[in-house]
Amino acid sequence: MNLMLVAPELTIAVTGLAVLLIGLFLPTDSKKILGYLASLGVLIALALTVSSLGTEALLFYNTVSIDALSQFFKIVFLVVALLFTIAGIKYTEGNSNTEEFFTLGLFATIGMMFVASANDLMVLFVAFELASLATYALAGFEKKNIKSLEAAMKYFIIGSLSAALMLLGISYVYGATGTTSIPEIAANSATLASSPIGIVAVVLLLAGFGFKIALVPFHMWAPDTYQGSPSVVSALLAAGSKKMGIVAALKVFVVALIALKADWQIAFAILAVITMTYGNVVALKQTSVKRMLAYSSLAQAGYITMAFVVLTPIALGGGIFYALSHGFMKAGAFIATAAVTYMVLSENKDSADPDHIENFRGLGKRMPITALCMTIFVFALAGIPLTAGYMSKFVLFSSTIQSGFVWLAVIAILNSAISLGYYAKIVKYMYFLPTDSEKVSEPFPYTIAMIIAAVGVLALGFWSEPFVHWAMEAASVLLTGGM
Amino acid sequence: MSGIIDISNIANSYIPVAVILIVALVMPPITMLIIKLVSPRSKASAKYATYEAGSVPVGNARIQFNVEYYLYAIAFVLFDIEVLFLYPWTTIFKGHDITSIATAEMLVFIFVVLFGYVYLIKKEALKWMK
Repeated sequence: MNLMLVAPELTIAVTGLAVLLIGLFLPTDSKKILGYLASLGVLIALALTVSSLGTEALLFYNTVSIDALSQFFKIVFLVVALLFTIAGIKYTEGNSNTEEFFTLGLFATIGMMFVASANDLMVLFVAFELASLATYALAGFEKKNIKSLEAAMKYFIIGSLSAALMLLGISYVYGATGTTSIPEIAANSATLASSPIGIVAVVLLLAGFGFKIALVPFHMWAPDTYQGSPSVVSALLAAGSKKMGIVAALKVFVVALIALKADWQIAFAILAVITMTYGNVVALKQTSVKRMLAYSSLAQAGYITMAFVVLTPIALGGGIFYALSHGFMKAGAFIATAAVTYMVLSENKDSADPDHIENFRGLGKRMPITALCMTIFVFALAGIPLTAGYMSKFVLFSSTIQSGFVWLAVIAILNSAISLGYYAKIVKYMYFLPTDSEKVSEPFPYTIAMIIAAVGVLALGFWSEPFVHWAMEAASVLLTGGM
Repeated sequence: MSGIIDISNIANSYIPVAVILIVALVMPPITMLIIKLVSPRSKASAKYATYEAGSVPVGNARIQFNVEYYLYAIAFVLFDIEVLFLYPWTTIFKGHDITSIATAEMLVFIFVVLFGYVYLIKKEALKWMK
């Protein structure tokens, strides 16, 4: 066994522990260095992952697989983690619990990475829980903020319930097939398909993953949690944790339970339609930008879920590519909100809702870089051409039409049109509404994180061909039934 | 490869579960009925006093515990479980040709646990009244 293949995960683990230990011995003033250390660790892990692209291997008694799919999602998670740690440098400034913030974020990243490379349902579940437990604590990071506590409490209770449902589903799959290994389940799934146990397992697993992906009607926690958590943490939740649910669902449904396709395909179709419509319509009347982004995140999850319905290599590739671009867009948008929140709180410490859309009034003059980046992110989320959002929607929707699901594509395109309504509202507030307040200096780490995300969004839009091709490669892993 | 559950016989295999369910539902009322019929009744005032190991009760039952008590309890349970984890490790340590890797893995594990211990001490979680 070659330990170099898990070097990215090991790097993150060692960085996480080092940050925790060093942080214990530092006075609060000099804890800023921890953020740089964490970002450095993530960068090294990212470099290690990129350098090992194209490797295929099975590790730890075939429970962990390294393939195009896992590498792709690992890079998604590491990019989100990088944005999270860079933005975290500013967010945790002067906080005595800085080390916990970064360590929990890094541990969550390890969990997500192992979900991406899990080849066994037990590894998948344990990694899923590692990421979930770390993010429960992160959501409640502002211990004195009642909204943050509410966010953490809801996320924790509903998350635990969904974990229990997922485990119950896994136990039925194990009971019927006699194995937890994903490729072996695929090989034995005829027994599942011919019995009512298969449907029970599908329903339980769908609910379990549906909670994490925040599909309507399993979405109840998402708006409250995304709104109440610190914006930087919301970025990790919406851009990272949600993608973890998607990759887990891809592995479990598209690889392991492909024999039950007829059962879950229709369920995913209904969930996709309800989720995207509900998310977009409810987002229209939100006044809190974070809550609006939370509902927009529901809608985006609905689009990605279309890949489960169409199930052609191009559609799955489109869904996976969408996951990458959504990582950049959504993380960037939440970090831009974090920058605005920081500005509002530094002007008025007791501001009741710093993420209210009124605070974006005249942002184009007050914080030009933040406003520009936010514009790029919301246009990308809406699917305006030359951004990552456009390319991913194009690939996904056109493949949907090609395979005959015209009604689904029409609903999705109508939804994109609705979504432009609330995205444009943010831009209107930023550029076209006057304000009396003067220009403020933009916090440096937030700006760096936003620029990285914006460059990513534009690069994926302008130069999308290699990335789309790469996503197709990742999708082909799914359809050949794993390794 | 056939599964662990015999699918063809799935309904039959749940009959014992159904029997236990019915027994579980019926048992409590029956027990309470028997108690009502056979047990002696007493109306002495001492019967309604709080039980405090036989002596006369002192103070209110609704006292508050220091929240740190729970922190202690959680830390104790954590380290308790770590010891449990060492136990199966000792039973397979010898005779499977894995001594070197087993030692290395356990050292990593103990090192990480030790980390938690240092963390607890530095965060003053083990100090009673700060």
